[in-house]
Amino acid sequence: MSDTFQSDAWPPEDRDDLLAAEYVLGVLPAPERQAVAKRAELEGALQERIAAWENRLAMLNAAYEDGPVSPEVFPRVEAALFGGDEAPAPAGRRRFGWLWLSGTLVAAVLALAVVIWPQFPPQPAELVARLDGGALVFEARFDGAMLDIERSGPAAGAGQDYQLWAIGEDGVPRSLGLLRGDREALATDALGPGVTLAVSLEPEGGSPGDLPTGPVLAAAPLTSL
Amino acid sequence: MTVDQISLLLQRVAGGDRSAFEALYAATAAKLSGVLTRILGNKAEVDDAMQEVFIRVWQRSAQFRPERGAGMSWLIAVARNHALDRLRARPERAGLRQEVARDEDGQDPLDRVADKAAGAEAGLIAQGEARRVVDCFDELENDRAAAIKGAYLQGLSYLDLAERHGVPLNTMRTWLRRGLLRLRECLDR
Repeated sequence: MSDTFQSDAWPPEDRDDLLAAEYVLGVLPAPERQAVAKRAELEGALQERIAAWENRLAMLNAAYEDGPVSPEVFPRVEAALFGGDEAPAPAGRRRFGWLWLSGTLVAAVLALAVVIWPQFPPQPAELVARLDGGALVFEARFDGAMLDIERSGPAAGAGQDYQLWAIGEDGVPRSLGLLRGDREALATDALGPGVTLAVSLEPEGGSPGDLPTGPVLAAAPLTSL
Repeated sequence: MTVDQISLLLQRVAGGDRSAFEALYAATAAKLSGVLTRILGNKAEVDDAMQEVFIRVWQRSAQFRPERGAGMSWLIAVARNHALDRLRARPERAGLRQEVARDEDGQDPLDRVADKAAGAEAGLIAQGEARRVVDCFDELENDRAAAIKGAYLQGLSYLDLAERHGVPLNTMRTWLRRGLLRLRECLDR
């Protein structure tokens, strides 16, 4: 056996799979480990390989014994995520607190307008969602007819597309379209409060079927402003 | 709590449900603390890591896909990845990792896998599957199987493994990779 490790000495079809296995085992030094994590963020195929190895080795998890849980941990998690107050508002409304305020002003003006011009069509409430997938975030805003969605984070890799889905009460995702630009406006009338928006990573052109095939990168429910 | 319930809780957490998040924490904190303690080997760091792990669980719950595997496996993967990131960020030098290696109690972890296959973490996975994993590890040469288990459970790096087994780093990597291919071939059979 040679003492010199050459990654190209392995069959090409096995190289990524071995890298995924090494990532899951955790044996790689920091730079290589980070490189795999970075690639996996945007490569659905590598993500699948990692998930497959996690499943193959998951039986070993039974060997982990329970550990001590300090009572301070959960309050700190909550404080970090939701702020320190006792009964904080949902994250969406807090983040858009000032918008919500201006939203009430708009609503008041509209209500006045309705009184002044009774024939004025009633304005549907605006809905927003922040789909936070870590390095990849989508801010969505729905005015009753158009969904405006803006991306911060990397574009999909070569040969791949982000696809947007709406998941209603029946739990079945329906495609709203591909998200290729930094900002897209999609015409739809089938959204309402509580409908979850989700972005999946798909092959170029979108999922070949009616349902997502790639990993869901970010999701959040639409909430009223 | 069964794996199914953990999956359901995770899906509710993905929708922003804070009471589901609290229930998820209550059901899984002890196990994840055990994972972090085993890999980090340093109890002082565990609380900090626990906090980070559960923040990530809240933020990334939308990425959990129930059809891909059990909820508990996903949570343990999040905890292991975070612990490994911390471990690899430490300067690697001989001796530093020996402390963690000592954590081994001499029992083969796979004995426990076989014992506990019906436990919460194995959940819906049949006893037969646990048997198959044990058998596949048995097919490997002893030190390769030990290296794979040691890496997975304790976070041993290639450098740690090479030191332990007294072989050059590249040799270690080559034979661990051969072991992984054998394991994959057996498990996917």
